[in-house]
Amino acid sequence: MDLLEYIELVFTDYTLRTITLGTAILGAVTGMLGSFAVLRKQSLLGDAISHAALPGIAIAFLITGAKDTNTLLLGALVSGLIGTFWIRGIIKKTHLKSDTALGLILSLFFGFGMLLLTFIQKQPNANQAGLDKYLFGQAATLVESDVWLMTMVTGLCVIVLLLFWKEFKILLFDADYTKTLGFNTKTIDILITSFIVLAIVLGLQTVGVVLMSAMLLAPAAAARQWTNSLAKMVFLAAIFGAFSGVFGTAVSASQNNLSTGPVIVLVAAVFVIISFVFSPSRGLLFKQIRFIKNRRDLELNKTLAFMHQIAETHEDISHPHTIKILNNFQGYTKGTLQKLVDKGFVTLEGNMWSMTKKGYSTAANLYNQQTNDDE
Amino acid sequence: MNSAQIEIQLIASLVAIACAIPGTFLVLRKMAMISDAISHSILPGIVIGFFITHDLNSPLLIVLAALSGILTVVLVEYIQKTGLVKEDTAIGLVFPALFSVGVIMIAKNANDVHLDVDAVLLGELAFAPFDRLIINGMDVGPKSLWIIGVILLITLILLFAFFKELKVSTFDKGLATSLGFSPAIIHYGLMSVSSVTTVGAFDAVGAILVVALMIAPAAAAYLLTTDLKKMLMLSVCFGVFSAILGYWVAHWLDTSIAGSITTTLGLLFLMVYLFAPSKGIIAVMYREKQQRAEVSLITFLLHLQNHNEVEERHVNHLREHINWQKVRATKVLELAKKNNMIHIENDVVSLTEKGETFTSKAIDYIITNKDAQIEDMKDDFFLFRG
Repeated sequence: MDLLEYIELVFTDYTLRTITLGTAILGAVTGMLGSFAVLRKQSLLGDAISHAALPGIAIAFLITGAKDTNTLLLGALVSGLIGTFWIRGIIKKTHLKSDTALGLILSLFFGFGMLLLTFIQKQPNANQAGLDKYLFGQAATLVESDVWLMTMVTGLCVIVLLLFWKEFKILLFDADYTKTLGFNTKTIDILITSFIVLAIVLGLQTVGVVLMSAMLLAPAAAARQWTNSLAKMVFLAAIFGAFSGVFGTAVSASQNNLSTGPVIVLVAAVFVIISFVFSPSRGLLFKQIRFIKNRRDLELNKTLAFMHQIAETHEDISHPHTIKILNNFQGYTKGTLQKLVDKGFVTLEGNMWSMTKKGYSTAANLYNQQTNDDE
Repeated sequence: MNSAQIEIQLIASLVAIACAIPGTFLVLRKMAMISDAISHSILPGIVIGFFITHDLNSPLLIVLAALSGILTVVLVEYIQKTGLVKEDTAIGLVFPALFSVGVIMIAKNANDVHLDVDAVLLGELAFAPFDRLIINGMDVGPKSLWIIGVILLITLILLFAFFKELKVSTFDKGLATSLGFSPAIIHYGLMSVSSVTTVGAFDAVGAILVVALMIAPAAAAYLLTTDLKKMLMLSVCFGVFSAILGYWVAHWLDTSIAGSITTTLGLLFLMVYLFAPSKGIIAVMYREKQQRAEVSLITFLLHLQNHNEVEERHVNHLREHINWQKVRATKVLELAKKNNMIHIENDVVSLTEKGETFTSKAIDYIITNKDAQIEDMKDDFFLFRG
């Protein structure tokens, strides 16, 4: 299927349109909120919460006996919140560290959820089949009302973010200062955490318990590499998230036997890798290029300084010297000499070099920062 | 109890012990989440191994899975070292990606593979006794029992051989390096043991239960003791206890054994979390309340010491001056009176001799910043605590 055909299909086919829209919106909202999770060093909270939501789904089903998405997600939300606050309780009140608390809640809640799920499977209720889709998610089960729910939550989330932008931002970067300014840090904290839980719960149906944490983290971690401004990061993360959703859906739709969740996660991972490598200011590639460039500059300066040392001993600074004396000097290569000539610091004549006035004064001021032209 | 039941309990107990030992060190080294990451990211290793051997119990599977576990650790450390993201983000990025690769590999080959993601993540202990190990036509027991037994044996040998090194490098990395133990070797050794244990156990009990069995007993034990040997013993005991109790709960409710062992572990941790003698939540809250009252008391006594004027020391005035609620003010007054630190005459409060000494000493400690010594002093002076 070629690209145009696919794009046409996205707009005409009900299922494909719903799934594409759903995953795009989901990616956007998780990317937005994920930025906060990443910056608050709560990256793994998403993993813990998504696992902790499982017993809530099971209990909601046990109580209502129906497989209505909204009630199940409500149950997931409640048990996710309980898990989150228990984690905070453990970290605050005992000497167990955050990683232990996260791992504990994650595995214990998930285990309890499994217990309930197997318990439900033994019940004589024909309705129970398909509850385990929440484990790995099934984007194909999205219907239009789910997308509406996601859109509503995303809208609410954007409004709250805009309303409390200042508070969220200041709490993120300087919690103590926020407190001294008189903000109720606890309320702000609970608000942002609740929204993170909400976003995770929304994604359970689509990408499932196990992979939800990556949806939260990957777009934010990718966006972080491109900017140092929170607003830009949140915006970029939303875009990365949305594109992961759209591309992931496209890839999994074009092949047989590919579940959407893992593909979306892998697409998001590709975004992360690209950002890690190619981001101009933080990326590995440009870091390496800068590193090599700095080393070259240093070598150049070392050669220049060495030449300056020799030139100093003569009354006439442009007194010619053989290139040979540079040979056993480490910073010297033919390339650096040529560069020096290009810069007009040195003139070459056969096997001899002599320093120019410009070169002499630059070399004299190399280490006292009088010259600013060497990048 | 038939032999299958005994075998299941035996396997569960061995898994619990094999998990509790590396788990204790992971919790102490603040690397508990690594076990979660490993438990997920062994999936591609298992899948590739399965494609090659078409046997879920082959040793190659364990080797490949352990390798992909170690690959996770290396990747996490590499990403962390670039400084682009924090450690927890690095963990959160690596394992879902590897897990996705595994899931997709399974999905693409679904037709000729009898491997289920659910089976890997959740396991089914009830089926473990049916897969027998047969040597020379003789039935020597379930395969998983042998696998986990060997892993446990190796873990125990390593534990006894390197206990000192593990202990030092866990609590003081600098000292360990200066004594000539390489923290890197111990670190990767521990990671390898964790990976191998996870792989060996996943087949029987599932990846999530492995995480629970590693972290929960160790965390509960950590709330009860600060002695490494006692902590190891306790977490082993907790693990085995919940494994056996969990089995019977599952038997009674007719549910997944892994799920019910985890739930038992959860309840056990909840109990310890609530009722641990000095670090449990109730003890901590009680102590916090006590300290709040006693800090109020010291503030109150200092106020008395600073003011000789009668009107400043009038009972009613105190309430508005220090700005306390009525209940709190009454409580502090009573506490001070019970400890013979004040006496009240015509509604005017003044310090007794004992109160004077206590207050002077307390202010001394506060000024010199030796807050810890106030606790000892309280023992000397207080007849009743706050």
